[in-house]
This record gives sequence, structure tokens and C-alpha cells, in this order.
Amino acid sequence: MSAETKEMIKQENQDLQKQEHQEEKTIAGRYFMPQTDIVETENNLLVTMDMPGVKKENVEVKLDNNVLEVEGKIDFSPYKDMTPVYSEYNVGHYTRRFSVSNTIDAEKIEANLAEGVLTLTLPKAPEAQARQIPVS
Amino acid sequence: MLRTWSNTMNTLLALQNAVEHARNADYFGTSTTSKGGYPLINFFEKDGNYVAVAELPGIDKNNIKIEVKDNFLRLAGERSIDYGKDISRHRIEREPYRFDRTVKLPFQVDRDQIKAEYNNGLLAISLPRAEADKPKQITIN
Repeated sequence: MSAETKEMIKQENQDLQKQEHQEEKTIAGRYFMPQTDIVETENNLLVTMDMPGVKKENVEVKLDNNVLEVEGKIDFSPYKDMTPVYSEYNVGHYTRRFSVSNTIDAEKIEANLAEGVLTLTLPKAPEAQARQIPVS
Repeated sequence: MLRTWSNTMNTLLALQNAVEHARNADYFGTSTTSKGGYPLINFFEKDGNYVAVAELPGIDKNNIKIEVKDNFLRLAGERSIDYGKDISRHRIEREPYRFDRTVKLPFQVDRDQIKAEYNNGLLAISLPRAEADKPKQITIN
């Protein structure tokens, strides 16, 4: 295999890893994709995800290599002594990955979970913020 | 579901229903739900009583209206999403909605014992079966 081919394969693998849901989880159980809104304000990127049933302590947010990974785990214990009789929706963990540009100030990411909605505030790095240049 | 083989047509219709149900529930999809009424409700049985659980993320609990009349359960409310004015949207998947759904319960409810909780975006309503509605055990003398 030539060095060129190797490089190409490596690049392809990296591209694949960037896609959402590319890696399998080691923990058994179904994972779902939370519905997500992403909006940009002047100073921040706001990521909002619906994760009904997830408690604060079971949320994990990671930013590694410009990939933002969010995982929310469901506590199944309340369902243990209940017998399902009719179901319309599935219950499971949530996970989703996004690639973000490298203009995020990773140190200052804030996460907040309220009423089953996770809100991430990703501040833009100062150099990425738009600057008004006055004309003299 | 496939109770009898005596009527092939019924069996086929039951199969069709099962397939449609699986498709509507979007079991193989990536999200917890897809189609159908809103909110989606799961019913559970717990010690002879029933619990209805609905996924309602991001709703102010004062905006949820729960009513029980006879054996009808009504859930109504509104979810609003507001990011303010000066934003640019990159991806919008969550939707604001106004919902109103009534479901018929297959039993009478003891209306004074109904309890509702809203935690982490899940609404749980415990619906105890009315004493008068419970089957009476009859012993043979």
C-alpha cells in the first residue's frame, strides 16, 4: 500500500468518525437522536436538545477535536415495577454528535438542563467574533 | 394478535395492523417517536392501577392542563420556543406547539385520587381505578 493510499484511507476514516452515530456504544440499550436546534447569536452558539426523562447528573457533554458529543442517559428504575399496557413512544438513552468549527472557546461552554431540555452555550472565541471597524 | 387461523382474512388484517403500528411507532427510526397524536402517551399498570406517562419536554408546568371526566383523560397545553430576535438559525428541529388530546380510558377513574407529576420533561399521571369499577371476587358457598 502506497503512502498516498494510506493517507487517503486515514482521511476517509476521520471523515467517517466525524459523522453522527458513527461509533457504537459499549453500553447496551437503545440510543435515540435528540431533536436539536442550533442557533447563533452575536457571542454564542446555542445548542438546544429535547431529552425528556434525563436527569442532570446523567448528562455528559464533551468537546474533543472539534466534535461536540452529548450523551443523556435515562434512569430506568422507575419503570421496574410497572407493566407496560400500551405504548406510543420508545424510551432510551440519547446521544448526538456535531462537528463544530474551531472557533469555540471550549473552556467556557455552559450546560443547563431544565424540564427535559438541554441547553448548551458555546461561546465563540474572541478572534472569531465579528468586529466593527470604524471608518476614520 | 394472531389468535386464530380459522379466518385467513382476519389474520392478514391483523398482520397489516401490526405492520402499520410498527411503522407509525417508528421503532427502527432514530427518534423516540415520529407520527401520531401529541403528546405521545405510554400507559403502565402498577398494582392494579394505571399510570400514564407523556413526553413533554420544555413546557412550563403551569401551562399543562389535565382534565378527567368520566373515563376521558384530556391533556392540553402549549410549548413555546423563543430564541430572541438577533439570531441566525443553523438547524431547527424542535417545534413549538399547542396541543390538546383526549384519550378514552378503558376503566372508571377514582377522580379524587388522581395525581400528576412533571419531572425532567416527563408528565406522569397516576390514575387509580375506581373501587366500584374493580371486579368483585365471588366465593362459592
